[in-house]
Amino acid sequence: MSLLQNINLWGDDIPYLSGLREKNRISFEKRGLPDSKTEDWRFSYFKQDDMQNPVIDNEPIKCEGHCHSNDKLPFNALQIRYCNGKLHIEDWNLPNGVVIKSLIEAVYDGDIKSYLNKSFNPDDFPFAALNGAYLEQGLFILIERGTVLSEPLYIKYHNSADKNRLCNIRNTVVAENGAKATVIEHFCAEENAVYTQNVVNEIFVGNNAELNHYVWQNEAKSAHHISLNSVQVKSGGNYSAFCANGTCKFSRYESYVRLLQSGAAAEINGVYKLSETEQVCDITTNIRHLSPHTYSNQLVKGVAKVRAKGVFQGQIHIAPDAQQCEGHQLHRALLLNDGAEIDCKPELEVFADDVKCSHGASSGDLDKEQIFYMQARGISEDEARKILVDAYLNEVFALNKNPDISEWIKEQF
Amino acid sequence: MSDVLLQIKNLYAGIAEDEKEIIKGLNLEIKAGEIHAVMGPNGAGKSTLSYVLTGKPDYEVTSGEVFFNDKDLLRLAPNERACEGLFLSMQYPVAITGVTTNNFLKHAINAQRKYKGLPELDAAEFLKLIRGAAKEFNISSEMLKREINVGFSGGEKKRLEILQLSLLQPKLAILDEADSGLDIDALRTVAEGVNKWHNQNNALLIITHHLDLLNYIRPDFVHIYADGHIVKSGSMQLAEDLEANGYKNYLEE
Repeated sequence: MSLLQNINLWGDDIPYLSGLREKNRISFEKRGLPDSKTEDWRFSYFKQDDMQNPVIDNEPIKCEGHCHSNDKLPFNALQIRYCNGKLHIEDWNLPNGVVIKSLIEAVYDGDIKSYLNKSFNPDDFPFAALNGAYLEQGLFILIERGTVLSEPLYIKYHNSADKNRLCNIRNTVVAENGAKATVIEHFCAEENAVYTQNVVNEIFVGNNAELNHYVWQNEAKSAHHISLNSVQVKSGGNYSAFCANGTCKFSRYESYVRLLQSGAAAEINGVYKLSETEQVCDITTNIRHLSPHTYSNQLVKGVAKVRAKGVFQGQIHIAPDAQQCEGHQLHRALLLNDGAEIDCKPELEVFADDVKCSHGASSGDLDKEQIFYMQARGISEDEARKILVDAYLNEVFALNKNPDISEWIKEQF
Repeated sequence: MSDVLLQIKNLYAGIAEDEKEIIKGLNLEIKAGEIHAVMGPNGAGKSTLSYVLTGKPDYEVTSGEVFFNDKDLLRLAPNERACEGLFLSMQYPVAITGVTTNNFLKHAINAQRKYKGLPELDAAEFLKLIRGAAKEFNISSEMLKREINVGFSGGEKKRLEILQLSLLQPKLAILDEADSGLDIDALRTVAEGVNKWHNQNNALLIITHHLDLLNYIRPDFVHIYADGHIVKSGSMQLAEDLEANGYKNYLEE
């Protein structure tokens, strides 16, 4: 079965939208799924068969309330839900200065046009091209100029086990000049669900705007999860992201960030914890400093045991005229036994001569002296290892700006 | 139950990788209420003794027996030994990035409570316990919030070891060079803490190479340890002789 199917989607009658779909379809047809020969994907790819013939459906949402379970959050938030890849249109009680609507509605209204599919080239991102061929499900979130959101926007994606679906979701998030907001994405599912989540977020951070983005990827064990976060940051704007990964059999969290103007800054941090045989978890970043005085920082820490594989590919690109930039990157991993694998590919591409850049990578095991010190105080070896792993990852959690959200993820992680 | 807390019988042990014995035929018996000091020159293998007793994985016992509280100590995992009441104040307490002192202590106390079948302390109970004890050892709440032993001074580290002794209330404490790197004030704090904990039901084994600490914690027995075993045992007088004449008389035997 082809991943490109001729199914009717909402908005096929709108030439603008069908044109975008066609453009993405052509991109995907050209390259197909990435494989071991695709440079950006050679450490982490899967075959179409691994997806076990997913359904790409155009049915309207059928929610049986699963996505509402465990909704209690330890913090106040504006809650938005996806159920099996379909957006719940609800009567969101929106504060002033915030617009939230479905992708289709935003296409009809026209306000998404300057953003949709504008932040990246689908030729470079095969799954995003596939996602674009089915542009239908998605959110348009606009935080208007100067609006400071006191409560985070919480987006929950829930998948049930009844059907194996390929969910293509496209969110567009715009923080206009001076706006400040926090967005949380929480992926979850019924325990034995099999599905492929293919999410693309296009994020636009305006002048002096601030967007904090948390991703808690708690997908079902047998799921595939691919996400692209394509971000543009304007002058003085700040994008900071944190992802917690590692529950499903294949995951790829990709950040493609373009720092367009002076003073733009981005921070991408992440943690992963892998404990299942053959599990693959990939964090790929590409931060492009396109103007002078732009800043970026990345800290990713992971833990892998059994025959799991962690991948970190981090690229920092500094354009020829982008003087006085700073770009830093660090990936550290713990390999808890011999079968585990970590592939790390740091890439610095610097075309300016007056910049500060650094990258580092390390991998190792837990410190035996530390384990013994804890044992000598009565703590069992297993418990000591657990404490040390948590402590290792805690360095990344500690960077999060919102302690309530950070703690909420950490407790479940 | 006998009042013998620790009995070491003809112990031979060393570092597993080296296949070289460091402890060679050691015998020692410690009863409840006693304070023993093992003195020996640098490199005599004194720390090896403390690691073998507490079960550090790199060390291997080749022959001999050790009973602690009538239990075969060598069969127990290191954490079980601790839960049975064996405590080691380390010469070089280990720094652990990412684990606060508070958190470490809470894990340790609750692990030992769990072993003994007691309910774990909740956050409030723990705070109450820790605050009172910390004050005694001049340990601020700021220090408890810092990562354990990370960037601590020598004095801070040793005071924290004794705080743990006081919180965990072991039956036998081994102080391995507890006085190294301490100024007089810190030494007094450490000694006072140890003396306060010590009673007729517990015992202390001090491992040291000089007299300083023994002036504050008076041992009932002093053993001279050289070439992997005890070459002479005596009273505090023996320690004072050592201080005056050095180890050479005992090493040349």
